[in-house]
Amino acid sequence: MGIWDTLTDLIEAATPWTTAEAEAPVAQDEQTEETTETKEEPAAEEAAAEEEAEEEEEEEEEDEDELVDPKETLEEECRQSKKCAPVKHHFDECVDRVTGAAEGVPKEDCVEEFFHLAHCATQCAAPKLWSVLK
Amino acid sequence: MLARSCLRSTRAIASARNSAVTITKRAASSSRSGSAADSPLRMNIAAVAATTVAAGSIAWYYHLYGPTAHAMTPAEEGLHAPKYPWVHEQFFKTFDHQALRRGFQVYREVCASCHSLSRVPYRSLVGTILTSDEAKALAEENEYDTEPNDQGEIEKRPGKLADYLPSPYPNDEAARFSNNGALPPDLSLIVKARHGGCNYIFSLLTGYPDEPPAGAQVGDGLNFNPYFPGTGIAMARVLYEGLVDYEDETPATTSQMAKDVVEFLNWAAEPELDDRKRMGMKVLVVTSVLFALSVWVKRYKWAWLKSRKIVYDPPNSGKSRH
Repeated sequence: MGIWDTLTDLIEAATPWTTAEAEAPVAQDEQTEETTETKEEPAAEEAAAEEEAEEEEEEEEEDEDELVDPKETLEEECRQSKKCAPVKHHFDECVDRVTGAAEGVPKEDCVEEFFHLAHCATQCAAPKLWSVLK
Repeated sequence: MLARSCLRSTRAIASARNSAVTITKRAASSSRSGSAADSPLRMNIAAVAATTVAAGSIAWYYHLYGPTAHAMTPAEEGLHAPKYPWVHEQFFKTFDHQALRRGFQVYREVCASCHSLSRVPYRSLVGTILTSDEAKALAEENEYDTEPNDQGEIEKRPGKLADYLPSPYPNDEAARFSNNGALPPDLSLIVKARHGGCNYIFSLLTGYPDEPPAGAQVGDGLNFNPYFPGTGIAMARVLYEGLVDYEDETPATTSQMAKDVVEFLNWAAEPELDDRKRMGMKVLVVTSVLFALSVWVKRYKWAWLKSRKIVYDPPNSGKSRH
């Protein structure tokens, strides 16, 4: 993967027909093209504009929604998965035991069980998480 | 061992040669040893004893060294972070500089209020994270001491590219005083300074559970974090969804911010990483060229030897040559 990308990058850099831009190219030409196209088909343009407006609205709504951390959701999925079922069972049992016997200072804590569950969940979520993040 | 087996084989050959004699010898010896030699215990006593000693020594070893004694409980050790596929840890990949830029923004807006980054000057940000003008503008936001003037007074001047990023506290004592006795470590080399590096810091930043597990003891003014050795960490969770507005409009989730800032901190600890990888690539290129060259040179040098032909011309016995 890595070396192949490097090779393709090298080839791209060496070939004479490619151009490397230090900054993003100015998108003026595209805009003019778009306007000429839209003049030819006004009806289609209106429909497209409406669709775009709707999409923008949807995006705004999404932005307004609370952001959800993908790590949390992925790890929750992993915690509920079959793979982590034994450690989750142990953790739940421990929590029941400790909270059930709550009188003064508890003699036992569930840190170790929590560790096993967290280890299982994060190991399972780690490769998936990077594909979601930028 | 070899000598002994050789001796034995010669003996066997010798015995085979004069078999008639050996037969009589064997008969004589068996009759002489009597009934005691026939009991299996007597015959196998050495083997049994050796086996007992072997098994016993194994058992003794496990008794002494077998069970590993953990000086620390898992909680004191801290949870080990999983391995994340960081881009910059691949052999032929550089830092993701877009992520570095985002990470620097997170550091500046979130971490910098408590953590210093005292070994990073503004000039090192130029070209890797910021443009020259941006870095200059950023430097000028802070004031630094000048050289003493004619009256020996030290005045303040706006920062320039050669200055280092300002620290939030003048010294460690002030930092401890402001943070309830806990010292926020300098982050310049933190990725190199912590076991687990990037993975550990990412897990630490994102690993705060909503509430500590049942029965866990969390000290006064401490927060539960499974990845921190001892699980009680003075730093509370700081990264929350939407805390930072990224200029490239990346959704600022907790894990996104943590990933970016950890990559930035890795850059702060190893700013030479990109150059180092380029140098490694150069080494590979040069050595492969030299190797190819050496193969061709070897072929050239050996050509006379490889292409020679040795002909045996047998002397003709009939005719004598003069």
